[in-house]
Amino acid sequence: MDRYSRRLPVFLNLAQIRFPIGAIASIAHRVSGVLLFIALPVLAVLLDASLRDEAGFASVRGLFSSPLSLVVAGVLAWALVHHVLAGIRHLLMDVGIGGELERARTSARLVLIAAPALAVLLLVWGLS
Amino acid sequence: MRLFAGQRAWVVQRISAVLLLALIVLGVLALPFAPPLEFAGWRAFAGGVLGGPLIALLFGALCAHAWVGLRDIVLDYIQPRGLRLAVLSLIAVVLLGVLVRVLLSLAAAALST
Amino acid sequence: MRLNIYRFDPERGAPPRMQAYEVQPEAGDKKLLDLLMRLRVQDDSLSFRRSCREGVCGSDAMNINGRNGLACLTALDGLKEPIVLRPLPGFPVIRDLIVDMTQFFAHYHSIRPWLINDEPLPERERLQTPAERERLDGLYECILCACCSAFCPSYWWNPDKFIGPSGLLQAYRFIADSRDTATAERLDFLDDVYRLYRCRTIMNCTEVCPKGLSPSHAIERIRLALLRRSS
Repeated sequence: MDRYSRRLPVFLNLAQIRFPIGAIASIAHRVSGVLLFIALPVLAVLLDASLRDEAGFASVRGLFSSPLSLVVAGVLAWALVHHVLAGIRHLLMDVGIGGELERARTSARLVLIAAPALAVLLLVWGLS
Repeated sequence: MRLFAGQRAWVVQRISAVLLLALIVLGVLALPFAPPLEFAGWRAFAGGVLGGPLIALLFGALCAHAWVGLRDIVLDYIQPRGLRLAVLSLIAVVLLGVLVRVLLSLAAAALST
Repeated sequence: MRLNIYRFDPERGAPPRMQAYEVQPEAGDKKLLDLLMRLRVQDDSLSFRRSCREGVCGSDAMNINGRNGLACLTALDGLKEPIVLRPLPGFPVIRDLIVDMTQFFAHYHSIRPWLINDEPLPERERLQTPAERERLDGLYECILCACCSAFCPSYWWNPDKFIGPSGLLQAYRFIADSRDTATAERLDFLDDVYRLYRCRTIMNCTEVCPKGLSPSHAIERIRLALLRRSS
Protein backbone atom coordinates (compact mmCIF):
# COMPACT_ATOMS: atom_id res chain seq x y z
CA MET A 1 0.00 0.00 0.00
CA ASP A 2 1.49 3.38 -0.91
CA ARG A 3 1.60 6.07 1.74
CA TYR A 4 -0.99 8.01 -0.25
CA SER A 5 -3.89 5.90 0.98
CA ARG A 6 -3.36 6.94 4.55
CA ARG A 7 -4.35 10.50 3.78
CA LEU A 8 -7.14 9.63 1.41
CA PRO A 9 -10.78 9.65 2.46
CA VAL A 10 -12.95 6.55 2.31
CA PHE A 11 -16.67 6.45 1.68
CA LEU A 12 -18.13 4.08 4.24
CA ASN A 13 -21.25 5.74 5.62
CA LEU A 14 -23.48 2.71 6.21
CA ALA A 15 -26.58 4.90 6.33
CA GLN A 16 -25.96 5.93 2.73
CA ILE A 17 -25.59 2.38 1.46
CA ARG A 18 -28.66 0.46 0.33
CA PHE A 19 -28.36 -3.04 1.83
CA PRO A 20 -30.06 -6.06 0.24
CA ILE A 21 -32.47 -8.16 2.33
CA GLY A 22 -29.83 -10.85 2.79
CA ALA A 23 -27.53 -8.36 4.49
CA ILE A 24 -30.31 -7.43 6.94
CA ALA A 25 -30.87 -11.08 7.79
CA SER A 26 -27.13 -11.48 8.18
CA ILE A 27 -26.54 -8.60 10.59
CA ALA A 28 -29.56 -9.75 12.60
CA HIS A 29 -27.92 -13.18 12.74
CA ARG A 30 -24.80 -11.60 14.22
CA VAL A 31 -26.69 -9.36 16.68
CA SER A 32 -28.88 -12.24 17.84
CA GLY A 33 -25.74 -14.32 18.37
CA VAL A 34 -24.20 -11.66 20.59
CA LEU A 35 -27.43 -11.33 22.61
CA LEU A 36 -27.50 -15.09 23.14
CA PHE A 37 -23.86 -15.03 24.22
CA ILE A 38 -24.69 -12.39 26.83
CA ALA A 39 -27.57 -14.55 28.02
CA LEU A 40 -25.37 -17.64 28.33
CA PRO A 41 -23.77 -16.93 31.73
CA VAL A 42 -27.17 -15.82 33.02
CA LEU A 43 -28.60 -19.12 31.81
CA ALA A 44 -25.85 -21.03 33.60
CA VAL A 45 -26.57 -19.16 36.84
CA LEU A 46 -30.31 -19.81 36.49
CA LEU A 47 -29.66 -23.49 35.85
CA ASP A 48 -27.58 -23.70 38.99
CA ALA A 49 -30.20 -21.88 41.10
CA SER A 50 -33.01 -24.07 39.79
CA LEU A 51 -31.12 -27.22 40.78
CA ARG A 52 -29.93 -26.03 44.18
CA ASP A 53 -33.13 -26.20 46.27
CA GLU A 54 -36.90 -25.58 46.18
CA ALA A 55 -36.40 -21.90 46.91
CA GLY A 56 -33.95 -21.54 44.05
CA PHE A 57 -36.29 -23.32 41.66
CA ALA A 58 -39.20 -21.11 42.73
CA SER A 59 -37.19 -17.91 42.32
CA VAL A 60 -36.20 -18.87 38.76
CA ARG A 61 -39.83 -19.62 38.02
CA GLY A 62 -40.93 -16.31 39.54
CA LEU A 63 -38.50 -14.36 37.39
CA PHE A 64 -40.90 -14.02 34.50
CA SER A 65 -43.51 -12.09 36.42
CA SER A 66 -42.12 -8.58 36.05
CA PRO A 67 -42.77 -6.60 32.83
CA LEU A 68 -39.03 -5.96 32.40
CA SER A 69 -38.22 -9.65 32.41
CA LEU A 70 -41.01 -10.14 29.88
CA VAL A 71 -39.36 -7.68 27.52
CA VAL A 72 -35.99 -9.35 28.02
CA ALA A 73 -37.52 -12.78 27.50
CA GLY A 74 -39.22 -11.52 24.33
CA VAL A 75 -35.98 -10.12 22.91
CA LEU A 76 -34.11 -13.33 23.75
CA ALA A 77 -36.89 -15.44 22.25
CA TRP A 78 -36.54 -13.47 19.00
CA ALA A 79 -32.75 -13.79 19.18
CA LEU A 80 -32.95 -17.56 19.59
CA VAL A 81 -35.53 -18.11 16.87
CA HIS A 82 -33.87 -15.80 14.36
CA HIS A 83 -30.42 -17.20 15.02
CA VAL A 84 -31.63 -20.80 14.60
CA LEU A 85 -33.66 -20.07 11.44
CA ALA A 86 -30.89 -18.00 9.85
CA GLY A 87 -28.47 -20.73 10.89
CA ILE A 88 -30.55 -23.38 9.13
CA ARG A 89 -30.56 -21.12 6.04
CA HIS A 90 -26.74 -21.02 6.18
CA LEU A 91 -26.41 -24.79 6.68
CA LEU A 92 -28.64 -25.39 3.66
CA MET A 93 -26.55 -23.00 1.56
CA ASP A 94 -23.43 -24.86 2.69
CA VAL A 95 -24.73 -28.02 1.05
CA GLY A 96 -25.79 -26.13 -2.05
CA ILE A 97 -29.47 -25.56 -1.34
CA GLY A 98 -30.86 -22.08 -1.89
CA GLY A 99 -27.61 -20.38 -2.87
CA GLU A 100 -29.02 -18.76 -6.01
CA LEU A 101 -29.83 -15.07 -5.70
CA GLU A 102 -33.61 -15.22 -5.96
CA ARG A 103 -33.93 -18.15 -3.59
CA ALA A 104 -31.51 -16.58 -1.15
CA ARG A 105 -33.57 -13.37 -1.13
CA THR A 106 -36.76 -15.33 -0.52
CA SER A 107 -35.28 -17.38 2.31
CA ALA A 108 -33.87 -14.22 3.93
CA ARG A 109 -37.29 -12.60 3.82
CA LEU A 110 -38.85 -15.77 5.22
CA VAL A 111 -36.44 -15.88 8.15
CA LEU A 112 -36.90 -12.19 8.96
CA ILE A 113 -40.69 -12.54 9.02
CA ALA A 114 -40.97 -15.94 10.68
CA ALA A 115 -38.56 -15.10 13.52
CA PRO A 116 -40.64 -12.49 15.40
CA ALA A 117 -43.82 -14.52 14.73
CA LEU A 118 -42.40 -17.73 16.15
CA ALA A 119 -40.75 -15.82 18.98
CA VAL A 120 -44.15 -14.53 20.11
CA LEU A 121 -45.48 -18.08 20.04
CA LEU A 122 -42.47 -19.29 22.01
CA LEU A 123 -42.93 -16.56 24.60
CA VAL A 124 -46.65 -17.27 25.00
CA TRP A 125 -45.98 -20.98 25.36
CA GLY A 126 -43.17 -20.39 27.83
CA LEU A 127 -45.33 -18.26 30.06
CA SER A 128 -48.16 -20.74 30.22
CA MET B 1 -0.88 -20.77 14.73
CA ARG B 2 -2.71 -23.96 13.94
CA LEU B 3 -5.31 -23.24 16.63
CA PHE B 4 -6.68 -20.50 14.41
CA ALA B 5 -6.67 -22.53 11.21
CA GLY B 6 -9.55 -21.35 9.12
CA GLN B 7 -11.22 -24.57 8.17
CA ARG B 8 -11.17 -26.21 11.59
CA ALA B 9 -13.07 -23.37 13.23
CA TRP B 10 -15.64 -23.32 10.42
CA VAL B 11 -16.20 -27.08 10.75
CA VAL B 12 -16.54 -26.83 14.56
CA GLN B 13 -19.11 -24.08 14.09
CA ARG B 14 -21.12 -26.14 11.60
CA ILE B 15 -20.96 -29.39 13.56
CA SER B 16 -21.92 -27.74 16.86
CA ALA B 17 -24.78 -26.02 15.01
CA VAL B 18 -26.13 -29.34 13.71
CA LEU B 19 -25.76 -30.86 17.17
CA LEU B 20 -27.62 -27.96 18.77
CA LEU B 21 -30.33 -28.23 16.15
CA ALA B 22 -30.71 -31.94 16.90
CA LEU B 23 -30.96 -31.23 20.65
CA ILE B 24 -33.56 -28.52 20.06
CA VAL B 25 -35.65 -30.82 17.88
CA LEU B 26 -35.29 -33.55 20.51
CA GLY B 27 -36.41 -31.15 23.21
CA VAL B 28 -39.40 -29.94 21.20
CA LEU B 29 -40.49 -33.50 20.43
CA ALA B 30 -40.10 -34.64 24.04
CA LEU B 31 -42.04 -31.71 25.45
CA PRO B 32 -45.59 -33.09 25.17
CA PHE B 33 -44.42 -36.21 27.01
CA ALA B 34 -42.70 -34.34 29.81
CA PRO B 35 -44.25 -34.30 33.30
CA PRO B 36 -45.27 -30.91 34.78
CA LEU B 37 -42.21 -28.93 35.81
CA GLU B 38 -41.44 -29.07 39.55
CA PHE B 39 -38.24 -29.08 41.59
CA ALA B 40 -37.81 -32.75 42.54
CA GLY B 41 -38.57 -34.06 39.05
CA TRP B 42 -36.37 -31.44 37.40
CA ARG B 43 -33.44 -32.19 39.67
CA ALA B 44 -33.85 -35.94 39.22
CA PHE B 45 -33.77 -35.44 35.45
CA ALA B 46 -30.72 -33.15 35.45
CA GLY B 47 -28.88 -35.45 37.84
CA GLY B 48 -29.87 -38.60 35.99
CA VAL B 49 -27.97 -40.64 33.42
CA LEU B 50 -30.00 -39.19 30.55
CA GLY B 51 -30.59 -35.58 31.51
CA GLY B 52 -27.14 -34.84 32.92
CA PRO B 53 -25.11 -35.79 29.83
CA LEU B 54 -27.72 -34.16 27.56
CA ILE B 55 -27.54 -30.83 29.35
CA ALA B 56 -23.75 -31.06 29.49
CA LEU B 57 -23.68 -31.77 25.75
CA LEU B 58 -26.01 -28.83 25.13
CA PHE B 59 -23.77 -26.39 26.95
CA GLY B 60 -20.63 -27.90 25.49
CA ALA B 61 -21.94 -27.41 21.97
CA LEU B 62 -23.22 -23.94 22.90
CA CYS B 63 -19.82 -22.84 24.19
CA ALA B 64 -17.96 -24.23 21.19
CA HIS B 65 -20.40 -22.60 18.79
CA ALA B 66 -20.34 -19.30 20.68
CA TRP B 67 -16.54 -19.31 20.74
CA VAL B 68 -16.22 -19.55 16.95
CA GLY B 69 -18.98 -17.01 16.38
CA LEU B 70 -17.61 -14.43 18.77
CA ARG B 71 -14.06 -14.97 17.63
CA ASP B 72 -15.25 -14.14 14.11
CA ILE B 73 -16.77 -10.91 15.39
CA VAL B 74 -13.57 -9.95 17.19
CA LEU B 75 -11.41 -10.77 14.16
CA ASP B 76 -13.70 -8.64 11.99
CA TYR B 77 -13.83 -5.51 14.10
CA ILE B 78 -10.72 -5.44 16.28
CA GLN B 79 -7.43 -4.95 14.46
CA PRO B 80 -4.87 -4.00 17.16
CA ARG B 81 -3.23 -7.25 18.23
CA GLY B 82 -3.03 -6.57 21.97
CA LEU B 83 -6.65 -5.48 22.31
CA ARG B 84 -7.76 -8.42 20.19
CA LEU B 85 -5.95 -10.92 22.39
CA ALA B 86 -7.38 -9.32 25.53
CA VAL B 87 -10.98 -9.44 24.27
CA LEU B 88 -10.60 -13.02 22.99
CA SER B 89 -9.18 -14.08 26.35
CA LEU B 90 -12.08 -12.46 28.17
CA ILE B 91 -14.59 -14.28 25.98
CA ALA B 92 -12.73 -17.58 26.48
CA VAL B 93 -12.80 -17.09 30.24
CA VAL B 94 -16.54 -16.37 30.23
CA LEU B 95 -17.29 -19.47 28.13
CA LEU B 96 -15.07 -21.72 30.21
CA GLY B 97 -16.71 -20.31 33.31
CA VAL B 98 -20.14 -21.15 31.94
CA LEU B 99 -19.08 -24.68 31.15
CA VAL B 100 -17.49 -25.24 34.56
CA ARG B 101 -20.49 -23.78 36.35
CA VAL B 102 -22.90 -26.02 34.43
CA LEU B 103 -20.83 -29.16 34.99
CA LEU B 104 -20.60 -28.41 38.72
CA SER B 105 -24.37 -27.84 38.95
CA LEU B 106 -25.06 -31.10 37.16
CA ALA B 107 -22.58 -32.97 39.33
CA ALA B 108 -24.20 -31.59 42.48
CA ALA B 109 -27.63 -32.60 41.20
CA ALA B 110 -26.35 -36.08 40.38
CA LEU B 111 -24.86 -36.49 43.84
CA SER B 112 -28.05 -35.40 45.57
CA THR B 113 -30.18 -38.09 43.94
CA MET C 1 -32.10 15.05 -14.62
CA ARG C 2 -30.73 15.81 -11.20
CA LEU C 3 -27.62 14.27 -9.68
CA ASN C 4 -25.74 14.49 -6.39
CA ILE C 5 -22.12 13.57 -6.85
CA TYR C 6 -19.33 12.97 -4.33
CA ARG C 7 -16.48 15.43 -4.93
CA PHE C 8 -13.00 15.29 -3.49
CA ASP C 9 -9.96 17.24 -4.63
CA PRO C 10 -6.71 15.93 -3.09
CA GLU C 11 -4.89 19.13 -4.02
CA ARG C 12 -7.45 21.30 -2.28
CA GLY C 13 -7.26 19.40 1.01
CA ALA C 14 -10.88 20.12 1.94
CA PRO C 15 -13.02 17.21 3.12
CA PRO C 16 -15.21 15.43 0.54
CA ARG C 17 -18.57 17.04 -0.26
CA MET C 18 -21.63 16.33 -2.34
CA GLN C 19 -22.27 18.53 -5.37
CA ALA C 20 -25.65 18.92 -7.03
CA TYR C 21 -25.90 18.89 -10.82
CA GLU C 22 -28.69 19.26 -13.33
CA VAL C 23 -28.25 18.01 -16.88
CA GLN C 24 -30.59 17.59 -19.81
CA PRO C 25 -30.21 14.16 -21.45
CA GLU C 26 -30.34 14.01 -25.25
CA ALA C 27 -32.33 11.52 -27.29
CA GLY C 28 -29.63 8.84 -27.49
CA ASP C 29 -28.68 8.91 -23.80
CA LYS C 30 -29.70 5.57 -22.35
CA LYS C 31 -27.14 4.84 -19.63
CA LEU C 32 -25.75 6.69 -16.63
CA LEU C 33 -22.35 6.95 -18.29
CA ASP C 34 -23.91 8.91 -21.17
CA LEU C 35 -25.21 11.41 -18.63
CA LEU C 36 -21.85 11.64 -16.87
CA MET C 37 -20.03 12.32 -20.16
CA ARG C 38 -22.56 15.06 -20.88
CA LEU C 39 -21.93 16.45 -17.39
CA ARG C 40 -18.25 16.86 -18.14
CA VAL C 41 -19.19 19.43 -20.77
CA GLN C 42 -20.72 21.45 -17.96
CA ASP C 43 -17.97 20.75 -15.43
CA ASP C 44 -14.78 19.18 -16.70
CA SER C 45 -13.31 18.95 -13.19
CA LEU C 46 -15.61 16.00 -12.48
CA SER C 47 -13.40 12.89 -12.53
CA PHE C 48 -14.33 9.26 -13.04
CA ARG C 49 -12.83 6.28 -14.81
CA ARG C 50 -14.41 4.94 -17.98
CA SER C 51 -13.31 3.14 -21.12
CA CYS C 52 -15.25 0.54 -23.06
CA ARG C 53 -18.73 1.94 -22.29
CA GLU C 54 -20.17 -1.55 -22.73
CA GLY C 55 -19.60 -3.33 -19.44
CA VAL C 56 -16.44 -5.31 -20.15
CA CYS C 57 -13.57 -3.21 -18.87
CA GLY C 58 -14.91 -2.62 -15.36
CA SER C 59 -13.55 0.94 -15.14
CA ASP C 60 -16.71 2.85 -14.23
CA ALA C 61 -17.74 0.97 -11.11
CA MET C 62 -19.29 3.27 -8.51
CA ASN C 63 -21.95 3.44 -5.82
CA ILE C 64 -25.22 4.41 -7.55
CA ASN C 65 -28.16 5.29 -5.27
CA GLY C 66 -26.61 3.19 -2.52
CA ARG C 67 -25.71 0.12 -4.59
CA ASN C 68 -22.55 -0.63 -6.51
CA GLY C 69 -22.79 -0.92 -10.28
CA LEU C 70 -21.27 0.02 -13.61
CA ALA C 71 -22.29 3.46 -14.91
CA CYS C 72 -22.25 2.22 -18.51
CA LEU C 73 -24.69 -0.62 -17.77
CA THR C 74 -27.04 1.31 -15.46
CA ALA C 75 -30.12 2.43 -17.40
CA LEU C 76 -31.32 6.00 -16.86
CA ASP C 77 -34.89 4.81 -17.25
CA GLY C 78 -36.22 4.05 -13.78
CA LEU C 79 -33.27 5.54 -11.93
CA LYS C 80 -34.45 7.41 -8.85
CA GLU C 81 -33.67 11.13 -8.82
CA PRO C 82 -31.62 12.87 -7.63
CA ILE C 83 -29.15 10.24 -8.75
CA VAL C 84 -26.69 9.90 -5.89
CA LEU C 85 -23.20 8.90 -7.01
CA ARG C 86 -20.43 7.98 -4.60
CA PRO C 87 -17.13 6.16 -5.00
CA LEU C 88 -16.88 2.43 -4.27
CA PRO C 89 -17.31 1.98 -0.50
CA GLY C 90 -14.28 1.12 1.55
CA PHE C 91 -11.71 2.00 -1.10
CA PRO C 92 -9.39 5.03 -0.63
CA VAL C 93 -10.63 7.90 -2.78
CA ILE C 94 -8.02 9.42 -5.07
CA ARG C 95 -10.31 12.02 -6.60
CA ASP C 96 -14.10 12.35 -6.96
CA LEU C 97 -15.31 8.90 -8.09
CA ILE C 98 -11.84 7.48 -8.70
CA VAL C 99 -10.62 5.01 -6.06
CA ASP C 100 -7.31 3.35 -5.29
CA MET C 101 -7.48 -0.22 -6.59
CA THR C 102 -3.98 -1.22 -5.43
CA GLN C 103 -5.11 -3.45 -2.55
CA PHE C 104 -7.82 -5.03 -4.70
CA PHE C 105 -5.32 -5.98 -7.42
CA ALA C 106 -2.79 -7.16 -4.83
CA HIS C 107 -5.30 -9.72 -3.59
CA TYR C 108 -5.93 -10.79 -7.18
CA HIS C 109 -2.22 -11.34 -7.75
CA SER C 110 -1.87 -13.21 -4.48
CA ILE C 111 -4.10 -16.05 -5.67
CA ARG C 112 -1.84 -16.60 -8.69
CA PRO C 113 -4.32 -15.98 -11.49
CA TRP C 114 -2.58 -18.06 -14.15
CA LEU C 115 -2.61 -21.70 -15.16
CA ILE C 116 -0.04 -23.76 -13.28
CA ASN C 117 0.88 -26.98 -15.02
CA ASP C 118 4.46 -28.26 -15.17
CA GLU C 119 3.60 -31.47 -16.96
CA PRO C 120 5.24 -31.95 -20.37
CA LEU C 121 3.63 -29.74 -22.99
CA PRO C 122 1.16 -31.45 -25.33
CA GLU C 123 1.60 -31.18 -29.08
CA ARG C 124 -1.15 -28.60 -29.39
CA GLU C 125 -3.46 -27.72 -26.49
CA ARG C 126 -4.21 -29.19 -23.10
CA LEU C 127 -7.57 -30.76 -23.87
CA GLN C 128 -10.76 -30.36 -21.88
CA THR C 129 -14.08 -32.09 -22.23
CA PRO C 130 -17.09 -29.80 -22.73
CA ALA C 131 -18.16 -30.67 -19.19
CA GLU C 132 -14.78 -29.63 -17.81
CA ARG C 133 -14.94 -26.38 -19.80
CA GLU C 134 -18.42 -25.72 -18.46
CA ARG C 135 -17.05 -25.61 -14.94
CA LEU C 136 -15.34 -22.35 -15.81
CA ASP C 137 -18.61 -20.66 -16.78
CA GLY C 138 -19.60 -18.03 -14.29
CA LEU C 139 -15.97 -17.66 -13.20
CA TYR C 140 -13.84 -16.55 -16.14
CA GLU C 141 -16.15 -13.66 -17.01
CA CYS C 142 -15.05 -11.51 -14.05
CA ILE C 143 -13.99 -8.06 -15.27
CA LEU C 144 -12.32 -7.03 -11.99
CA CYS C 145 -14.62 -4.03 -11.56
CA ALA C 146 -14.61 -4.46 -7.74
CA CYS C 147 -18.35 -3.88 -7.35
CA CYS C 148 -18.50 -7.06 -5.26
CA SER C 149 -15.54 -6.56 -2.96
CA ALA C 150 -16.53 -2.95 -2.41
CA PHE C 151 -19.97 -4.08 -1.25
CA CYS C 152 -18.74 -6.81 1.07
CA PRO C 153 -18.83 -5.86 4.79
CA SER C 154 -16.14 -8.43 5.58
CA TYR C 155 -13.91 -6.77 2.99
CA TRP C 156 -14.66 -3.33 4.45
CA TRP C 157 -13.46 -4.42 7.90
CA ASN C 158 -10.33 -6.24 6.73
CA PRO C 159 -9.39 -5.10 3.21
CA ASP C 160 -5.76 -5.96 3.76
CA LYS C 161 -6.24 -9.51 5.01
CA PHE C 162 -9.47 -10.82 3.48
CA ILE C 163 -9.04 -11.62 -0.21
CA GLY C 164 -12.60 -10.56 -1.02
CA PRO C 165 -15.25 -12.02 -3.32
CA SER C 166 -13.54 -11.08 -6.60
CA GLY C 167 -10.18 -12.58 -5.69
CA LEU C 168 -11.84 -15.69 -4.27
CA LEU C 169 -13.99 -16.15 -7.37
CA GLN C 170 -10.84 -15.91 -9.47
CA ALA C 171 -9.07 -18.34 -7.16
CA TYR C 172 -11.86 -20.82 -7.68
CA ARG C 173 -11.66 -20.28 -11.46
CA PHE C 174 -8.25 -21.93 -11.33
CA ILE C 175 -9.13 -24.52 -8.71
CA ALA C 176 -12.01 -25.62 -10.96
CA ASP C 177 -9.85 -25.71 -14.08
CA SER C 178 -9.06 -29.32 -15.00
CA ARG C 179 -5.82 -28.23 -16.69
CA ASP C 180 -4.42 -26.67 -13.50
CA THR C 181 -2.32 -28.95 -11.29
CA ALA C 182 -1.71 -26.64 -8.34
CA THR C 183 -5.10 -27.24 -6.70
CA ALA C 184 -3.62 -28.45 -3.42
CA GLU C 185 -1.32 -25.45 -3.08
CA ARG C 186 -4.11 -23.04 -4.02
CA LEU C 187 -6.39 -24.55 -1.37
CA ASP C 188 -3.57 -24.50 1.18
CA PHE C 189 -3.10 -20.79 0.55
CA LEU C 190 -6.79 -20.04 1.03
CA ASP C 191 -7.19 -22.15 4.19
CA ASP C 192 -6.71 -19.23 6.51
CA VAL C 193 -8.92 -17.51 9.07
CA TYR C 194 -8.57 -14.23 7.19
CA ARG C 195 -7.93 -14.98 3.52
CA LEU C 196 -11.03 -17.11 2.90
CA TYR C 197 -12.82 -17.51 6.18
CA ARG C 198 -13.86 -13.93 6.75
CA CYS C 199 -16.71 -14.70 4.35
CA ARG C 200 -20.03 -14.91 6.20
CA THR C 201 -22.13 -15.63 3.10
CA ILE C 202 -23.84 -12.27 3.39
CA MET C 203 -24.17 -12.44 -0.42
CA ASN C 204 -23.87 -8.71 -1.03
CA CYS C 205 -21.36 -9.63 -3.72
CA THR C 206 -23.75 -11.67 -5.83
CA GLU C 207 -26.41 -8.97 -5.41
CA VAL C 208 -24.31 -6.31 -7.16
CA CYS C 209 -22.19 -8.17 -9.70
CA PRO C 210 -22.89 -6.37 -13.00
CA LYS C 211 -21.96 -9.51 -14.96
CA GLY C 212 -24.44 -11.67 -13.04
CA LEU C 213 -21.72 -13.81 -11.46
CA SER C 214 -21.97 -15.40 -8.05
CA PRO C 215 -18.82 -15.04 -5.96
CA SER C 216 -20.74 -16.41 -2.97
CA HIS C 217 -21.34 -19.62 -4.90
CA ALA C 218 -17.67 -19.86 -5.88
CA ILE C 219 -16.64 -19.37 -2.25
CA GLU C 220 -19.06 -22.08 -1.17
CA ARG C 221 -17.38 -24.41 -3.66
CA ILE C 222 -13.93 -23.56 -2.29
CA ARG C 223 -15.12 -24.46 1.21
CA LEU C 224 -16.46 -27.77 -0.06
CA ALA C 225 -13.22 -28.45 -1.91
CA LEU C 226 -11.31 -27.82 1.32
CA LEU C 227 -13.66 -30.17 3.19
CA ARG C 228 -13.31 -32.89 0.59
CA ARG C 229 -9.55 -32.60 0.76
CA SER C 230 -9.36 -32.99 4.52
CA SER C 231 -11.72 -35.94 4.71
